[in-house]
Amino acid sequence: MSASNPASNLTPADVAAPVVAAPRAIALVAAIELAGALFLRQFLLAEDWRVVVAMLALFGAALVAMQRRPALEARIEAAFADQARLAALLGLAIVLAFPFVLEKSTYALHLLVLAQLYAVLALALNFQLGSANIPNFATGASYGIGAYASALLAVNWDVSFWLALPAAAVVATVFGFLLGVPSMRTRDSYLALVTIAFGVVIHQLLNNLEFTGGPNGLVGIPAPELFGHSFASPLVILGYDLPAQANFYYLSALLVGIAILFARRVHDSRVGLAWNALRADELAARCQGINATWYKVLAFAVDAFLAGFAGTIYAFYVGFISPDNFTFLVSVTIMTMVIAGGMDNTLGVIVGAFLLTLLPEKLRAFSDYRILFFGVTVIAFLMIRPQGLFPQRLRRYGA
Amino acid sequence: MAAQVAQQLLNLATLGAIYALIAVGFSLLFGVLNIIHFSHADVALTAPFLALAIVPALAGALGGAPFQAGFALAALLAIVATGFLGGILYAGIIRRFRNAPAMMALVATVALGIVLRELIRHLFPNGSNPHAIPRLVTGSVDLFGTAVPLFNLVAIAVSVLCVGGLFLVLGRTRLGLHIRAVSQDRDAARLMAISPERIFRLTFFIASAIGAVGGLFFAGYAGIVRFDFSVDVGLIGFSAAVAGGLGSMPGAIIGSLLIAGIDTLVQATVPNGASYRLVFVFLLVIAVLVFRPSGLLGRTVVEKV
Repeated sequence: MSASNPASNLTPADVAAPVVAAPRAIALVAAIELAGALFLRQFLLAEDWRVVVAMLALFGAALVAMQRRPALEARIEAAFADQARLAALLGLAIVLAFPFVLEKSTYALHLLVLAQLYAVLALALNFQLGSANIPNFATGASYGIGAYASALLAVNWDVSFWLALPAAAVVATVFGFLLGVPSMRTRDSYLALVTIAFGVVIHQLLNNLEFTGGPNGLVGIPAPELFGHSFASPLVILGYDLPAQANFYYLSALLVGIAILFARRVHDSRVGLAWNALRADELAARCQGINATWYKVLAFAVDAFLAGFAGTIYAFYVGFISPDNFTFLVSVTIMTMVIAGGMDNTLGVIVGAFLLTLLPEKLRAFSDYRILFFGVTVIAFLMIRPQGLFPQRLRRYGA
Repeated sequence: MAAQVAQQLLNLATLGAIYALIAVGFSLLFGVLNIIHFSHADVALTAPFLALAIVPALAGALGGAPFQAGFALAALLAIVATGFLGGILYAGIIRRFRNAPAMMALVATVALGIVLRELIRHLFPNGSNPHAIPRLVTGSVDLFGTAVPLFNLVAIAVSVLCVGGLFLVLGRTRLGLHIRAVSQDRDAARLMAISPERIFRLTFFIASAIGAVGGLFFAGYAGIVRFDFSVDVGLIGFSAAVAGGLGSMPGAIIGSLLIAGIDTLVQATVPNGASYRLVFVFLLVIAVLVFRPSGLLGRTVVEKV
């Protein structure tokens, strides 16, 4: 298939943007990653709302600068492409070391755990919305199915977290198939409505059925254990005491890592190519022999699978779930993360998820008004940068 | 038994009429602008709040006029004001998304709905609490042996008038011709000296005003209104429009009656039906779309090269 595309005949050097000398590229990559980490730390620890607003303005200014000077953007991109291994290793080191620089703030760690779970959800939805342009307003429902399935297993049958995790993902995937197969006859707004309806049905069932605990939800979900270490107890690493939230921080970070790896592998595979083809032109894709229905259903299943994982971790992390954690608005928020972050751009989706999770929390200074501010911010983002923070990139061939 | 059936049929017709007032707005806006205005119900349900806010001001101006008359006038003013609100929202925000991908407009209008709800909550005194809405017409008439509240009859009659009026406007007037022209082909309409922008604004005005009528009757039917009622109303109105076929006015009406039908049926027959009504409503919506992927009366789009 790729042979028919002229771009694949080019050598990497033809496609590569400006060449950056190795030492400068290394410095650039390191500087950007460290600056990003420092920014996130200060943002998480900021108490004063004026600082929060100032930091948001700084972030906005950086984005504007990137948009004004495409050359700068291209240079940064080239540096990262050039030093991909270094960038990945440094990023990993930053993620591992991050809890140590948070001054043992449990609140900051809690926010990070939530942001990472949302990042997984947004990456899950990105397979559908970003890669294949299939709307899905039921990611929140899959998240809820995963959370409830694992919580029910743990509360009723004492199933351990590590068994409940895959089990819940399988349950969520089955529901994803159940939703995906019939809805493939519909498209666009009609498909959007089918997924909205599915989400509402799941939410209402969770809210009314007896074995899900009704509106009160499920309580007393035990914390997971690993090699005798309970995730509810503080984590001690090299003599340094980290709050208990750090356990879940590393767990969710691992899940994000797996999701990123998964996203990259799928993107480079035949499946990702088929999804992109469906996004570009479904009819043309069908003519090329792509089984559109199968690939669309697959997208639904993948989305539900990852969302089920995230749901399980959420349930065991918080220890208490209720139907209100998985409403239609949660699904809309995840949709917004993907659209505002940048469709089909892994980095953009993660940044979008972090931003939209942290923003309402950091705006608590405005207490009651934060939902209002959230809505206004979303509209403003969509109006100012409709293609998302980090727009879709063209597929790279070769290399 | 017969009396009970008659009572349920009346409920069905009333609910269906109220939902239809919201659903035609969704359908009309989609037909003309090709976007889903998800905050349509939030706009519509500002009307009861506006009416409540206008009443005290009017009471002073009218002096000794009876309360009913005051509220009726307030409701009329609220309907017009809501129409303008719709037009302003279009010109200020939604206009930017009229050429954007469909999902982006959908998400933007969902966010707009959040903003509208929160604004009502914060700007209206005691906005978080439910507010009582008086029924404009009280009393009942005896029809075929059952006492029928006048309110229900008025709601049905007004709904038929509004939707019938919309059909007349769309089918028989110059404005309707322009609206249909723009919905078929914006650029061709522009070449015929029709300003699409003006038509979009007017369509928003009309849809929002008709929605406002629906919002007022919904609040009156429930007896109370709260800032977040519009979430369910919006989902149901949108479902009715989509199940009927987006862009088709008769489809929106049939969809509303269908949804009102399953709603009343479930509440009347299923034990504990009130809590499961949304489950059945949305399962029906899924079923309709699985068998008729473009809605009941929607045009099936066959893509050709």
